[in-house]
Amino acid sequence: MFWQKEIETQNKENLRKFQLECINKQIALARNSQFYKDKLANIDKLNSLEEVRKLPFTTKQDLRDSFPYGCLATDLKNVVRMHSSSGTTGNPTVIFHTKDDIANWANISARSMYMAGARNTDIFQNTMGYGLFSGGLGFHYGGERLGMLTIPIGPGNSKRQLWFMQHFKTTVVHILPSYALRLSGTIKELGIDVKKDLNLKIFFIGAEPHSEAMRKKIEELYDVKAFNSYGLSEISGPGIAFECPYQDGLHIWEDYVYPEIVDSKTFEPLPDGQEGELVLTTLQRQAMPLMRYRTKDLTKIISEPCKCGRTHRRIARITARTDDMMIINGVNIFPIQIEKTILSVPEAGKNYIIELFDNNCMDKLRVKIEINNETFKGTLKDLEILQNKLVNELKQELDVTPVVQFVESGSLPVTEGKAKRVIDLRTKK
Amino acid sequence: MAYHISVFLENNPGKLEKITTVLAVNNINLRAMSLASSETFGVMKLLVDNPEKAYEVLKKNNIAVSKRQIIAVVVDNVCGSFNKLLITLASNKINIEDCYGFLLSDGKTAAIVLETEDYPNTEKFLSDKGFEVLNSEKIYNY
Repeated sequence: MFWQKEIETQNKENLRKFQLECINKQIALARNSQFYKDKLANIDKLNSLEEVRKLPFTTKQDLRDSFPYGCLATDLKNVVRMHSSSGTTGNPTVIFHTKDDIANWANISARSMYMAGARNTDIFQNTMGYGLFSGGLGFHYGGERLGMLTIPIGPGNSKRQLWFMQHFKTTVVHILPSYALRLSGTIKELGIDVKKDLNLKIFFIGAEPHSEAMRKKIEELYDVKAFNSYGLSEISGPGIAFECPYQDGLHIWEDYVYPEIVDSKTFEPLPDGQEGELVLTTLQRQAMPLMRYRTKDLTKIISEPCKCGRTHRRIARITARTDDMMIINGVNIFPIQIEKTILSVPEAGKNYIIELFDNNCMDKLRVKIEINNETFKGTLKDLEILQNKLVNELKQELDVTPVVQFVESGSLPVTEGKAKRVIDLRTKK
Repeated sequence: MAYHISVFLENNPGKLEKITTVLAVNNINLRAMSLASSETFGVMKLLVDNPEKAYEVLKKNNIAVSKRQIIAVVVDNVCGSFNKLLITLASNKINIEDCYGFLLSDGKTAAIVLETEDYPNTEKFLSDKGFEVLNSEKIYNY
């Protein structure tokens, strides 16, 4: 039932005491970094968790501004890994890990997977992207820590995914919900019977928002139980909050992070049960402790006891975000990255809109750009060269291959707010 | 030197009509055209009686337009005449960027409109080979 029974079922009082101790240690550690040195100068030791509100918030912009090493709180000799967001237009966010950080992250990932029912006899196919993206490596280490045979297959190539599932008798899969839907198309195409030909049991789905209806659909398509996974690379990656077998909210590992919900406008802490922005303070991070990191994810904390017996509170399924970040097949993209890329190509027009749609269950990004009357040379060839150039530049910036479409100048609405340039036509949301 | 005009078009109903309306309203006569399209957009070449004016009015209507140089060669309205022109061009390794044709008013000859990379040489070469190259006045009105 439990990976670490004592921790997972720890009584509230002890858990809060442990959290306070950890936060005070994290404050002391964070002071070693350039970024927190001044910000935490006037903060004494906290005497209670209520005093957490004295700590300054940390935002993604802060991480960008302190690129590359400004948030690092330990000597480089202790750092063994980094993960990073995509993009080169603004500074990317870079997250560092010590050996202990990797071990602790692997532990909560293993705990999450164990909670969902995975055991060391399972065969785990990890279809998440490996590399700078934390989704793949995070659960890879978790899977190994749990003792599963972990297949680092990575994303894409549906026929090969299914070939592995058939031949190695995969039982556990980590997958983007959108890719799960798409892969089921290949299953039908190849005439594979999920009940007879495959041994699937458990899916971990995450890295992009999805509805309860979508989870049900995935469970039906594959004859599995699918568990919602929450995480963000700024803290470490997947495994920060995870569903138990009751699938009613995600237990947030309160020995790993201290969660708060704040009002998304006033930033005042809200009581459990009220929806607002999730704010996380790390409790165990060694390379890069973060104080009150604003996730921009909207949710609420469910403090009612869970039937599974775990005392760590739950968060509800993420409903929305407070910023304009888009999630496209699990890749996080900000509209400003697209804008800067378009503006860096002088032959392209300046007015554009971003459309998100789904094609064969996968998210697609379409950028409609007005033709630039001044640089129009009058041949299809020149337009196609420009189109390819824009596709390549955007792909480099975003890690997502967009569709670039030219439209007449003056045909797009002139908008002031950037968010208005984004049109989400996806049906699964 | 003769020109046709080239406009950007979205591959959607009503987009072409927008262009022809501008031309009609401004009394510009369309003599010939060709259309090349990619998936969602394309480029249309228009041979008109007054390319300067067409260029100005289209530009004024916020349409992406450009003037492109052409030459027009007369061929007989009989089997194999166009083929003969192409063989002649190919023999001198002259590449054709774009090409379309229209029948001239006598009905016995046609004009082949060509976009190439090297106009003075192409023109001279074709004249030397005995082809009639139309002057701009004839291209626009003949």
